[in-house]
Amino acid sequence: MTNIDNVGVIDDDFAPAAAPARGKAREAAGAKVAVKGGKGLTIAIGVSAVIAIIGIVLWGMQLSGGMVQTAMRNLDSWGLYITSFMFFVGLSAGGLIISSVPKAFGIQGFGGISKVAVMTSIAATVAAIGMVVVDLGQPARVWELFAYSNLGSPLMWDIIVLMVYLVLSCVYLWAQVQHEKGKVSAVALRVISVIALVTAVMVHSVTAWIFGLQQSHEMWHTALLAPWFVSSALVCGTGLVMATVIALRAAGYLKLDQAYLVKLAKLLAVFLLVDLYFFGCDLLTEAFPAGSGLAVVDMLVSGPLAPFFWGEIILSVVAVVLCVVPQLRTTPLLAVAGILAIAAIFCKRVQLLVGGFQIANLDYASALTPFTVTNWEGNLAQAYQGMVYWPTALEFGVTLGVVALGFLVFFLGLKFLPLKPQGQE
Amino acid sequence: MRYGFVIDQNRCIGCHTCSVACKIENNLPDDMWWNRILTDGGDWVDIPAGEFPNSTISYVPVNCQHCENPACVKVCPVGATYKDADTGIVRQDADKCIGCRMCMSACPYTGVRSFNWEEPQFMLSVALGAADAPSHQKHTVEKCTMCWHRIAKGEEPECVWACPGRARFWGDFDDPESEVSKLIRDKNCRQLLADEGTNPSVYYIQ
Repeated sequence: MTNIDNVGVIDDDFAPAAAPARGKAREAAGAKVAVKGGKGLTIAIGVSAVIAIIGIVLWGMQLSGGMVQTAMRNLDSWGLYITSFMFFVGLSAGGLIISSVPKAFGIQGFGGISKVAVMTSIAATVAAIGMVVVDLGQPARVWELFAYSNLGSPLMWDIIVLMVYLVLSCVYLWAQVQHEKGKVSAVALRVISVIALVTAVMVHSVTAWIFGLQQSHEMWHTALLAPWFVSSALVCGTGLVMATVIALRAAGYLKLDQAYLVKLAKLLAVFLLVDLYFFGCDLLTEAFPAGSGLAVVDMLVSGPLAPFFWGEIILSVVAVVLCVVPQLRTTPLLAVAGILAIAAIFCKRVQLLVGGFQIANLDYASALTPFTVTNWEGNLAQAYQGMVYWPTALEFGVTLGVVALGFLVFFLGLKFLPLKPQGQE
Repeated sequence: MRYGFVIDQNRCIGCHTCSVACKIENNLPDDMWWNRILTDGGDWVDIPAGEFPNSTISYVPVNCQHCENPACVKVCPVGATYKDADTGIVRQDADKCIGCRMCMSACPYTGVRSFNWEEPQFMLSVALGAADAPSHQKHTVEKCTMCWHRIAKGEEPECVWACPGRARFWGDFDDPESEVSKLIRDKNCRQLLADEGTNPSVYYIQ
């Protein structure tokens, strides 16, 4: 079913003159090798660039007209942007971990998809950083993060770790390319992969601590949150790598033995089950004392966030079934499993973020203004009846723009970097 | 020094004078309230809980609690919110705030911190309140300053001075002879959400 005949000329050697830089070439300034992709890839780059530019225009509107155009308010002060930030940090994990674990421990890998996997990590990290930037009220003051760093703030830790992670992912990708050319030794590559692996685990833990260290939100304040973020990251990251390599194989970009895909699917099933296990542990610990934690569980199971709670559970279970039943492990269904796993984790992110704001610590009646809470035209009880927050069209637009930026980075990588498995050039 | 408030809930009649005085003194923009009077009762403002004649109601005036162990200060990535070492007042530097709203999320006291979700709008074309009242900036977080500009001049915070029921007291908890120290010694006082471990500098007499 893999047809690589119509891919055109695939030239992985140095041939800078063969592909004159055009259009968006400045993003690829670091690329040493220009590879002709198919026409589809060029169209994909164009489309994602256009959507990203529309997103930037919408962001400009948000900044000039004010964040009052978003649905975020004083009592639900974070929204879709920070939800997506958590989500993209998670997505960035899988690629790097799948790529680095086999190298770090010297075990058999996944059939040379290592470089493509790391490229998904880089793209997701760029999108994650973009999500934080569009959430800031004063993005022009970002330099203060480096000038006046409060090293005690989990947000500062995250900014540092995220930057290190992005740089390291790029270094790791470069090292793999150089290694294949015989310029970087296997030992050096292994050292870099170990460092990358540790950083990947840190980046998820620190992102969890932004939420988990806040005693003011009962739902977030649990030591389980950091390991749980790592497991969720493994789920959606593996799902992303699976869906990506299936798509790339179908498009004829690379060849991959089905056995590796099955191996990925089994891994995805294990990660999903670990994630569900953590979820169960957390729900039980919250609910069992039948104290204030019971309100959190009620909110998830039968309250305003129930669609996202049950959505996560059902999507996860279906994905597990698709991955573990041998008869169902066909290529299209495995792609579906990967996408379901990603969707399940997005549901988890929505639960965490909106759920954190859904229960007010001081829920005494008060006069509400348009700045207090999204649904302010009633009393506090009414504002919390449904989901306390639902994004506006502008927020969806800006988010889509940042997502498109991530896709743009990935597509440019496919086009200009030698990401195909060794020996398939 | 550890400046703070004692609020006598038995005296508070829920008239919102302190809220309005605060709003005028600090020239707060539209929809912005640093000091709010919450109703401990039914679902609506000024509505008691329970059936008459067995209904109950009390008022909880809430402004920044100026915690001794503030959750907001720890999480601010750029130190735009910080605790003044001399007075114990939790301050907010609008010129430095990057608008990440981490402090709003970390603060356990729901709604104490406010964000300027748009360019500050004002009901009147002239600025109200003190000439040295703080400025307000779009897309930054702000909150009660404990009337820093008045304390600097040796005056009490505006809300304390304005309260018609004399329900608000202000002073230094580190001075055992101060009125507020005596009140928390002699009266049945509580802090809001004491188990959050923030040790607020606002005490409520019940």
